[in-house]
Amino acid sequence: MLLRAFLLSLCLATPALADFEQTLSDHILPGYAAFAASTQALSDAAAKDCKADGLKPAFNAAYDAWVGVQHLRFGPAEADGLSVAIAFWPDPKGSGAKSQRALLLGDPAQLTPEHFPDQSVAARGLTGLERLLYPTEALPADPCALIQATTLDLARMAKIINDNWINTYSKTVLTAGDVGNTTFQTRPEVRQTLFTQVVAALEFDKDQRLGRPLGTFDKPHPERAEAVASGRGLRNTLISLQSLRAMVVTMTPDTPLTLAGFDRAIKLANALNDPTFAGVATAQGRLKVEILQQAISALVDTVVGELGPELDVGVGFNAADGD
Amino acid sequence: MSASALTRRMEIKMATRRAFLAGLAAASLPRVSWAEVGSPACLAAGKLGDEFVLHGLTAAGESLFEIGLPARGHAAAAHPTQALAVAFARRPGTFALVLDCLTGAVRYRLTPPEGRQFNGHGAFSVDGALLMTSEVVAEGSAGRIGLWETAGFTRIGEWYSGGIGPHDIRRLSDGRIVVANGGIQTDPGDRTKLNIDTMRPNLTLLSAEGAVLDQVELAEELHQNSIRHLALHGDGVAFAMQWEGDKTETMAQLGLWVPGSAPVLCPPPDAQAFAMKGYAGSIAVARSGDLIALTSAPAGVVMLFDGAGQWLATDPRADVSGAAAVGDGLRLTDGQGGVWSYGREGLASLSRNATAWDNHLIALS
Repeated sequence: MLLRAFLLSLCLATPALADFEQTLSDHILPGYAAFAASTQALSDAAAKDCKADGLKPAFNAAYDAWVGVQHLRFGPAEADGLSVAIAFWPDPKGSGAKSQRALLLGDPAQLTPEHFPDQSVAARGLTGLERLLYPTEALPADPCALIQATTLDLARMAKIINDNWINTYSKTVLTAGDVGNTTFQTRPEVRQTLFTQVVAALEFDKDQRLGRPLGTFDKPHPERAEAVASGRGLRNTLISLQSLRAMVVTMTPDTPLTLAGFDRAIKLANALNDPTFAGVATAQGRLKVEILQQAISALVDTVVGELGPELDVGVGFNAADGD
Repeated sequence: MSASALTRRMEIKMATRRAFLAGLAAASLPRVSWAEVGSPACLAAGKLGDEFVLHGLTAAGESLFEIGLPARGHAAAAHPTQALAVAFARRPGTFALVLDCLTGAVRYRLTPPEGRQFNGHGAFSVDGALLMTSEVVAEGSAGRIGLWETAGFTRIGEWYSGGIGPHDIRRLSDGRIVVANGGIQTDPGDRTKLNIDTMRPNLTLLSAEGAVLDQVELAEELHQNSIRHLALHGDGVAFAMQWEGDKTETMAQLGLWVPGSAPVLCPPPDAQAFAMKGYAGSIAVARSGDLIALTSAPAGVVMLFDGAGQWLATDPRADVSGAAAVGDGLRLTDGQGGVWSYGREGLASLSRNATAWDNHLIALS
């Protein structure tokens, strides 16, 4: 009896080890709450005054909040393609602009809260709103109603995700391993899912956010960078790295190499004075973006080599290599 | 008649004769039916600790038998009547094992001829007398279909597969064979891809005697969409592709092909365009023909389509890869040892094994 009490007190005395419960409470839930609040603020502001310049600060705050949770590609954000509708990028065929033009010139009934969620995902969300707030050429019609519809839709989607995490999906995560939980059959499956998000998000930063504008040495594509009009390409990369680092800290207290790798990439991103990656068209500017890309590439290796074993998970048996 | 056509005809003639003789010789060997090993619904390769194994699974996902493999397996082929499974090594494969599913014994060890490599898949003829294996010429990856009689599992010939880097092969109910020539030339020593810029996958229909009856390629801009896996569907096949081109482009991973017509690609809606990460690992069509499942382990999702290729759902499941039609429904396996039933209601857990299931789940017909 005494021994048991002693052991119990030892357990209590041990500082709480970071695990997915902490990722949920300290990273995921606050992240979606911030995204829901910022999109609500954006929608409220647009309802009062839809002039583009006045909405830019609220737009950027909402975009920042989204990039803070964008890497969580599982659960409520993935239901019904919501994450894709919130930020449709890359859009190599320019479908967003085409669909949006049709909405601007078409039946206003398409913009009502009943019908707007059924419109093309490419035309909606933050990437759609960016084209209206930062037009690169004259818009074919007054965008006010579409701006209001888009912001209202963003706030709606953010609320769905936030509510579902709070009311349903938190429980799904916290009851991992319980009988009847078909999403997470064991606790390690949650850790593996979170680990996979980190690896996939870093690869997205490397291959898409940096890789698309880099193109090849002979054929750089600065115009393919993310959010060129609002000048957010580098900012999104930086916030992504910072958010992922913060997430890793909640997952385990003991990954010094991984954190050092994040710090190095974040430092390089901070020092990169090229908000839209336009510099990739020059040899000197390209080199700087490549150095950041290589740092993220090295970080992926470190995450797989250190964070994975620390969590006792890896990239899946089948996912690790093709057939 | 061209020299190659003549050679092919001679090979077939020899094949028939030898199979007949070997069949006579082996007539006295004990033949065990699938019912005698518990009537498994499917076969799955997997990994348990550091060991590689092949399991026979019931429709409910319970393991009926477990047989050790010397190295990582890829797919298997089940004899239509006898309880014999052929386990294929991962490509570039140097072995295939004919396993007695009652005793677990290796009945035969198949080694490709000099200069050939197994490429992961195979199929039996309708009567089980012939085993056909997807193979490449090691240098250059030109496709071959290796032919083995099944009384003694000796090599009796080969056919041209119709392209480079054949992967999956399926036998239609009438005995004709569809080959997915993935188009990728690989280094004979490892899995390095050598011709991504110039690859040209195709689907080839062979007669039961190995003659090329039909062949289709995808449109020029899709030449980097490697056609790799097949499932029987109506009068043709559903095929699964892996995109080897620019990752920022969205390509269909599912296609349908009825020989005699053009292949039809079935992209999902925009919101789902990146959900598979350009990769389809396994494909299965429910026996009713009204549901098609396509797995992507790298993306951790399975997509469901209707029989016409219309997207229905995308469901998350970590490391999901194997897919097969079992009974009226579909079954999936994952790298955590899970066996699932799958359909319009989503995933439902059937069992969880300590074995991490590998790429494919093979249904017994």
